Amino acid sequence: MGQVTFKNLSKSFGPANIIDGINLEIRNSEFLVLLGPSGCGKSTTLRLLAGLETVSSGKILIDGKDVTELEPRERDIAMVFQNYALYPTMTVAQNIGFGLKAKKTPPKLIKEKVNDIAELLGLTHLLNRKPNSLSGGQQQRVAIGRAIVRKPKVFLFDEPLSNLDANLRLEMRAEIMKLHRELGATTIFVTHDQEEAMAMADRIVIMDNGLIEQVGTPTEIYFQPKTRMVAGFIGNPSMNFIEGQISKNCEISMAIGRIKVNIPPNSGKDVEVGIRPEKIKLDERKSKPTEIKVKVLVTNVELLGPRAVVKMQHESGQQLTSVVDHNEMDKYRVGTKISVSLASQALHIFPRIRD
Amino acid sequence: MIISFENQLSRFLGTIAIFTAIIVVLFPFFWIFLESLKPPSLGGRPDVWFFEPTWENWSEIVLNSGVPLNILNSFFIALITVVISLICGAPAAYAFSRFRGFHGARYSILAAEMMPPAILILPLFLLLYKLELIDSRIGVIIAHLTFVVPVITWFLIGFFDEVPKDLEDQAMIDGYTRFQAFYKVILPIVRPGLGAAAVFGFVLSWNDLFYSLLLTGAESRTLPVAIASFWTFRGIELGKMAVAILIAVIPVLILSYSIQKHLIRGIGGSGVKY
Repeated sequence: MGQVTFKNLSKSFGPANIIDGINLEIRNSEFLVLLGPSGCGKSTTLRLLAGLETVSSGKILIDGKDVTELEPRERDIAMVFQNYALYPTMTVAQNIGFGLKAKKTPPKLIKEKVNDIAELLGLTHLLNRKPNSLSGGQQQRVAIGRAIVRKPKVFLFDEPLSNLDANLRLEMRAEIMKLHRELGATTIFVTHDQEEAMAMADRIVIMDNGLIEQVGTPTEIYFQPKTRMVAGFIGNPSMNFIEGQISKNCEISMAIGRIKVNIPPNSGKDVEVGIRPEKIKLDERKSKPTEIKVKVLVTNVELLGPRAVVKMQHESGQQLTSVVDHNEMDKYRVGTKISVSLASQALHIFPRIRD
Repeated sequence: MIISFENQLSRFLGTIAIFTAIIVVLFPFFWIFLESLKPPSLGGRPDVWFFEPTWENWSEIVLNSGVPLNILNSFFIALITVVISLICGAPAAYAFSRFRGFHGARYSILAAEMMPPAILILPLFLLLYKLELIDSRIGVIIAHLTFVVPVITWFLIGFFDEVPKDLEDQAMIDGYTRFQAFYKVILPIVRPGLGAAAVFGFVLSWNDLFYSLLLTGAESRTLPVAIASFWTFRGIELGKMAVAILIAVIPVLILSYSIQKHLIRGIGGSGVKY
C-alpha cells in the first residue's frame, strides 16, 4: 500500500508562498512525476511529504493516515537525493543497512537483506568499499539500494539522474522503471527534464509558481494541455503561440489569417492560439475552410539527426517553428518563401494573460 | 638575459628572506636549549657562549622540583577543558551552521573572544572563592572554558558548513532522530575537525598563564605558572626555566604540526570556502 493525499497543502517561507494550496491524490503503486521549471515548488512538495519541511497549512495523508505532524522517520518513506547523500564514513553495505539498523533489525537479517539488494543492483563486489571510491552510477545504485531495502510505502526521488552523464542517465532511468515494475511501490519522482517525465511517468503533475497546472498521463499532458504554461513548457521545440481575437461566428482572427474553431468556454475575447511545430505542414494545395494557409519566409534550418527544425517568419513579423523529417529538408531553403498550413483541429486556444 | 638575472636575483633574495625568518623563529629555541645545558654557576649569563654542557638542570627539574606535578596539572586541566569544550562546542557549532536566518549569529561567538580576560577575572575569582575552588584544578578548568569553548565552537562551524544538509535529512528519513543523525552521521564526518579543534583548544589551555597565575596555588599550579615562578627575588633561575620552557613547548610543537592541515581551515572558519 502507499496512497498519498495532499489536502490544500501550503508552504511559505516568510512572505513567499512556495506551495500555494495544492490538492493531489497519488494512487497506490503509481509512478508519479512532479515536473516544472526550477523554483516551481516541486522539490519543496517532495520535502514536505518526506517531513523535512514543516507544512504551513493543509494536510498530508499516507494510506489515509494523517502524517502532517509526524517526523520523517515515522512516515515509512524512502528518498533518493540528487547528490545521493551517501554516508561517506560508512561502507556500501553499512550505507544500505543503516535504515534497517534504526529499526533494530538483527544483524544477521540486515546482512541477508543487504546481500539480496546488492545482488539485485549488481553491487555485490562493492559492498566493502567507501562511497567516494565509486563512480556516479554506482553511487546512484547504492542510494537506490538504501531506499528499497526497507520496503517503504512510498519512494521519493529528487532529481536523482541530473548528476549523471547522458548514457548513464538512460540506463538508470530504465533500471528505476524496472525496479518500480518489480516492487510495485508508489513512487514520486521530481525532475525538470520533460523527456524523463514523459518516458517514466504513469501520470505527470506539472507545477508552476507553487500551483498545480495540470495532472495527467504523458499523452494527455502533451496532446491536451489545459493551460498556456503547460502547452509552452512541454514539447521541444516548444509550441508556437499566435495572438488573436475571437470575433463573432466562432472565428479567430490573427495577424496571419482567420479560422473557424471550436472555442472553449471562458476563453474571453483575447486569446493565444498554440500549435505544435510538427503540426505545421508544408502545403502547396488550395486552402480548405478548416485550415489556415500561410506564406512564410524560411529564416533558419537546423538538422537534429532524423529531424530538422525550421524557423519561419510571416510578413506580419510572427515567428513560426516547424519540425520536419530530414529527407524533406530540401524543400525548406533559407531565404525562400513557402506556404504552410495550420489545421484547425491542431490548434490549442488559451485565454491571453496580460501581465 | 635580463629576465633570468632578475629571476636569479629574486630567488636569491627570497632564499635569504626565508632563512632569515627561520633563524628569527628558531634562534630563541636554540638559545633556550643552550641555556638549559649551562652549568648553574653560569646561569643568568646569556653572554657566555662556550661552556661545558651538563644535564644538571634537567635532572634537577625532573627529579627535584614541582615541575612534574605542574605538568600533570596542566595536562589534566587542558584535557578536561577540551573534553567539556567539545561536548558543548560541537552541538553549538552544528546549530550555528545549520539553522536558517541565523547566519550573523555566529559572529557573536567572536565577541566573547574579543573580551579582555581581565574583565572576567574579578567575578571569576570571587565566584571561585565563594565556592572554595581557589587553588583547585576545577577552578582553572572553569576559567579556561570561558575562552576555549568559543574558540572550539568557532573552529568547528566551518567544518559543519561543509557537510551537506542532505546527509542528516537522509538519516532522519532512514529512521533516526535529529540528534541520532547528528552523532551517528554528522560527527563521524567532521572527525578531522574535532581532532584539530581538540588540539587547538588543548594548546590554548596548556599555554594559559593569566588565569592560572591568579587562580592556582601550590596544589594546582600549572606549567606556565611554574615557568614564571623561576623568576624569583634572588634573580632568574635561567637554566631551570629553560628546561621547563622546553618541556612546555615540545607538546605544542608536535600537536600543532599534527593538525597543521586542518588548522588553517578551522581558524579561517565559518564562511570561508575552499
